Amino acid sequence: MPVTQPLIRVSHLKKYFKVYKKEPGLLGSLQSLWQRQYEEVKAVDDVSFTIEQGEIVGFIGQNGAGKTTTLKTLSGLLYPTAGEVSVLGFNPWDRQAAFQKQFALVMGQKNQLWWDLPPMETFLLNQAIYEIPETTFRQTLNKLVEILDVAEILKIQVRKLSLGQRMKCELIAALLHNPKVLFLDEPTIGLDVVMQKVLRDFIKTYNQEFKATIILTSHYMDDVKELCKRAIIIDKGHKIFDGQLKDIIDKYARNKIISLVLSQKVSRKDLEKFGELKESEFPKATLLVPRAQAAQVASRLLTSLPVEDLNIEEPPIEAIIREVFQTKAGS
Amino acid sequence: MFKKYWTLFLISWQVGLAYPLSFALWRFRRVLTTVMSLTVWSVIFGQQTSVFGYTQAQMMGYIFLVSLLQGAILATSLNSLAGDIYSGTISQLLIKPVSILKYLAIQDLSDKLKNVTFIILETIGLYFFFRPEFVLPSLSVFGLFLGWVVLAIVIHFFIEILFGTLGFWSPQSWGPKFLFFMVVEATAGTLFPLDILPAWLQKGLYLTPFPYLSYAQTQLFLGRLKQSEMVINSIGLLFWTVVLGWAAMVIWRKGIHNYSAAGN
Repeated sequence: MPVTQPLIRVSHLKKYFKVYKKEPGLLGSLQSLWQRQYEEVKAVDDVSFTIEQGEIVGFIGQNGAGKTTTLKTLSGLLYPTAGEVSVLGFNPWDRQAAFQKQFALVMGQKNQLWWDLPPMETFLLNQAIYEIPETTFRQTLNKLVEILDVAEILKIQVRKLSLGQRMKCELIAALLHNPKVLFLDEPTIGLDVVMQKVLRDFIKTYNQEFKATIILTSHYMDDVKELCKRAIIIDKGHKIFDGQLKDIIDKYARNKIISLVLSQKVSRKDLEKFGELKESEFPKATLLVPRAQAAQVASRLLTSLPVEDLNIEEPPIEAIIREVFQTKAGS
Repeated sequence: MFKKYWTLFLISWQVGLAYPLSFALWRFRRVLTTVMSLTVWSVIFGQQTSVFGYTQAQMMGYIFLVSLLQGAILATSLNSLAGDIYSGTISQLLIKPVSILKYLAIQDLSDKLKNVTFIILETIGLYFFFRPEFVLPSLSVFGLFLGWVVLAIVIHFFIEILFGTLGFWSPQSWGPKFLFFMVVEATAGTLFPLDILPAWLQKGLYLTPFPYLSYAQTQLFLGRLKQSEMVINSIGLLFWTVVLGWAAMVIWRKGIHNYSAAGN
């Protein structure tokens, strides 16, 4: 069996920035005129991973964790301080046209559409820049326009479009050349829940249809949950988890949630004997119990209290990840 | 290969015309500046036939020519380049299979051609009002004049790129840029012909690239240069093209290495 190389290979990547620090107030401003203080920020610090073709990987991390810096380095926008990166067999910062024609970077808060012109003008410019043959361009464009339902807005000035409409057009502009690798940085930021769902479905379809490799960063866990089987968690420039999303629960979830429906009122004090009481409003109550004791506690609840219904659940992934970061911050 | 630059060229025109009122008022401001200049010099020439060695016809021709050269050489779409670099706006360009310097050059050229087109239309209007006497140069001098204009456009482009590279390191690009605007206004010959200045100052100015950004071309067109001066000016233009081009490339490459792609 032939051994396939990973499509993206990141080895001991480091990216440090020098940032200027100023004391608050006018005095600080005056002092900075003759004596500037700089601090080295380790945006990405010794991060390694590989990604295979067709994978959708979720990059999870708090603001300033190093997610976007990593994507920018993979795109060739930033030179790394140290380490090696290979995307599709290229060094991204060589900025070779053959590489640039095979990937796209979509940044939710930066747009490539010409603000004062209709989106169609950007699409035509991208057709010329990526040297897309007319027939292929029309086929891809028609398909993307149909899936994202934007036929009506192609001739309207970008500045007059809603955020959701603009984001759809941004995706079209980024995908016209059918990139094999897609870096999506907060693609659903600021969108309403309906539009978030539309974009998520579209990204999933694109991945399946074109076997595209996708790295996604998002503050919305729904994006990651729906699209990614694998997640990489980054905290303060360090990778702290890399694996299947479901494994985060096994690794980090310390508790399980027991939801109860009671047939008679039970005091808070009696409920608190079984675990940490999260909610109690008759007839419902929710308890947080250590994972290892969940089955045993459930059995005791059924025998000791007037329980009509009982359910054991895993905590939501958002809560687990929040706990991961809180634990890390605490340590 | 050229389709991408041609499409960009057309888009840049469209962007320029997206706000017709702003564009019309900008052009009106330029026309007003030229009219003021023509009026002031007409008044000065009212009592005398020659001022600073210029006849009235030569001075009128000078002002028309300078207005045209300003649109072709000094007008630029790259004024915000440093800001675009510092704010990370150019990130989307840097990841595309296109030479960013060629991309910026085409945008700049498109802007200049748009300006020149309108200046020609405006000049036709002003011509009928002021009726200046143009003495056209010989075909060979006119050819050389066009060559000098092209070199000046290239020199100015490299200067703009150099100012743009400030954005790789600092947000403070507008201060030096404003100073540059003022220096160019005074030393490129757009406000007045440089030969009204003392000889020592003229010599000093010729050690900088600024007189080559309009003044040298007007002197050639108006037949005020000897053959030896044409050779010296040609060498000066080529020298600054090579030096500034080399500096722009080296500093741009260093800047790209330092690019922080600010923003999300």
